[in-house]
Amino acid sequence: MWRPASLYSRGFFVGRKFTRALGQVFCMIYLLAFCGAMQAAAAAPHQTPGLKRAMKFVTDETGRRVAIPFSVQRIVTLAPDLTETVYALGLGDKLAADTTFCDTPPAAKLKPHIGAPQTPSLEAIVAMHPDLVLATTSINRPETADALLRLGISVYTSDPHTVRGMLDSIARMADLMGANEQGMALVTQLQARLDAVHARLAELPLVHVLFVVWEDPLITIGQNTFIADALRWAGAESVIVADQNWPQVSMEEIVRLQPEYILFTGNHSESNGDNELNRLRTRPGWKALKAIEMGHVIRVDDEITKPSPGLVGAIEQIARELHPDVFSSGARGESFELQDGMMTGVVASIWQKRERDFCAL
Amino acid sequence: MRPLTPQRILGICALLCGVLFVVCVVSLRMGAYPISVRDIVSTLFNVATGRREEIPVEFWQVVFGLRLPRIALGILVGASLSTAGAGFQALLRNPLADPYVLGVSSGAALGAIISLIVAPHTVGAIQLAAFVGAASTITAVYFLGRRGGQLDSPTLLLAGIVAASFLSAIIMFLLTMVTGSELRSIAFWLMGDLTAPPPTTNVLGWLGFLFFVFIVAAGAMYTTSSDLNLILTGEQEAKHLGVNVNRVKFVVYIAASVLTGLAVSVSGAIGYVGLLVPHVMRMLFGTDYRMLIPTAAIGGAIAIVLADTLARTVMAPTELPVGAMTALAGAPVFIYLMRRRMR
Repeated sequence: MWRPASLYSRGFFVGRKFTRALGQVFCMIYLLAFCGAMQAAAAAPHQTPGLKRAMKFVTDETGRRVAIPFSVQRIVTLAPDLTETVYALGLGDKLAADTTFCDTPPAAKLKPHIGAPQTPSLEAIVAMHPDLVLATTSINRPETADALLRLGISVYTSDPHTVRGMLDSIARMADLMGANEQGMALVTQLQARLDAVHARLAELPLVHVLFVVWEDPLITIGQNTFIADALRWAGAESVIVADQNWPQVSMEEIVRLQPEYILFTGNHSESNGDNELNRLRTRPGWKALKAIEMGHVIRVDDEITKPSPGLVGAIEQIARELHPDVFSSGARGESFELQDGMMTGVVASIWQKRERDFCAL
Repeated sequence: MRPLTPQRILGICALLCGVLFVVCVVSLRMGAYPISVRDIVSTLFNVATGRREEIPVEFWQVVFGLRLPRIALGILVGASLSTAGAGFQALLRNPLADPYVLGVSSGAALGAIISLIVAPHTVGAIQLAAFVGAASTITAVYFLGRRGGQLDSPTLLLAGIVAASFLSAIIMFLLTMVTGSELRSIAFWLMGDLTAPPPTTNVLGWLGFLFFVFIVAAGAMYTTSSDLNLILTGEQEAKHLGVNVNRVKFVVYIAASVLTGLAVSVSGAIGYVGLLVPHVMRMLFGTDYRMLIPTAAIGGAIAIVLADTLARTVMAPTELPVGAMTALAGAPVFIYLMRRRMR
């Protein structure tokens, strides 16, 4: 029981009786508002016209069961790697919108954008009335896919953890977008390039490298990331073995492990390699690394960070820079192999970009 | 000082409700998908005349599937947080108290992280685990914060702060164990996020349930508002005037904690609203809790809906976290009102 208010409410013009009455009034208002909202919802069309189309049911790579139209004409991608895949499959004209991060190929920049991969505007996606939205666990949040599925929009989420997984994922997505043959061709071609690299490196021991995701604090890759797998294809192995995807490691540990090569990401045009090396040579910890002393620093194409067709180009670049003697001999050269042993990283990067654009055609 | 009459409370609440309505309509109109007033009118007309097929599907999806539920959730979260903030400020007699001061958000965050590690793809697991985390923290802090069998404000504050930092330390430890995609969800959750889909497909039922809990908790707190006024002048004085201080404290503690747990489990930890809105309402309408509780609730709703609208439109199509927006827009408003009052 509440205490009677008479003892102390005299000094106030509003007593407990009033507060109770006000509470009741508020309850009434909310109840009415709720009923109104209920009616509005009952009036909502339960069968949207779009759902009458022929759909097939597939299980996406995260285990969600999703309905996807047989004929996909409008695609929205939620990550740069997916945009790149769509272009590589020759489906650029079906791409209705992509993210503000999508810059490869350059045509992707001109498409309408639906926001950043982690914070897209759901309504902007809806406004594009897509047949299929492509998402990936490598950058998107699961909440985005859940919210879109709730609205009856078809979303396929890819979940690549390895280079092979990425190829399988490309084949599956190509199939969903009605580009089965292009998908097979692209996957076969990428696999052939990977096999060519593998054939040259098969007998060589793995080079121990440090892949720098972030310099300060020092963050590297875990063993379950596709980057770690890509490094294995390129004949390299991370010195750090961790279950986390992006472990933060101590400099002392790196000095103890003494990696043979240090790998940074970023395009060659963006920074000068020599300046970078000189800067690292003055930093405590870093200057104690033999790899820095010997100039064994490789700046890897940004494509290494994306599970997309361009990843194979990045693998080729790393393989070349880590094993220049194997690749410069030209003894087992393929048709696309440069014969010039003097090839610098810059040339390699430009050359790979050109090749990638060729693939996109 | 004008006397506080029922008419005045109702009048100001009606005024604020009007502001909230306008803000909601503006919020409904603004966004990446353009909607004009004519669209809204023609939609209402089509619904009224039973010609639903003429409304574009995207329009239904955007308005009824995305914006309205988000506005409703914003109203609910904002009202809960600032009511809880007002409650904690009275309970702890500390102007710096906010809904998270007693570690409720840390407990909820810990629950959410554990659910992401244990059952990452289960729908609704985060909300449930967050609420369990919040409730356990509330219970633990309640028993730690008692002194001689009674809730003691300084002890409660210390217990809450220690619990919060202890739980935060566990969170930091666990965060190093989660991998990429879970970490992303958690980061957004810790910043506050209204975009996550509700755990059931029955959105209205879900919102109705949340509103019901809000009404019960806020109503319980409102019944103590006369007593809170007296407790704020001093616990001994209130006791002498016949207030059952322990009962009032218990009711306010439970009600404010439930409101916080509710808000945190559906939207993550949205900061600043619970701290700023009650103070702003005090500056505008006085410190009487019979006025403060309803005005803080409506004001909190206005603040969140406004902040979320800004978050959705400032960098469109990219969305900003609503928690960042509340702090960014709230701090200058607060400083302005505070300086003006000092003059």
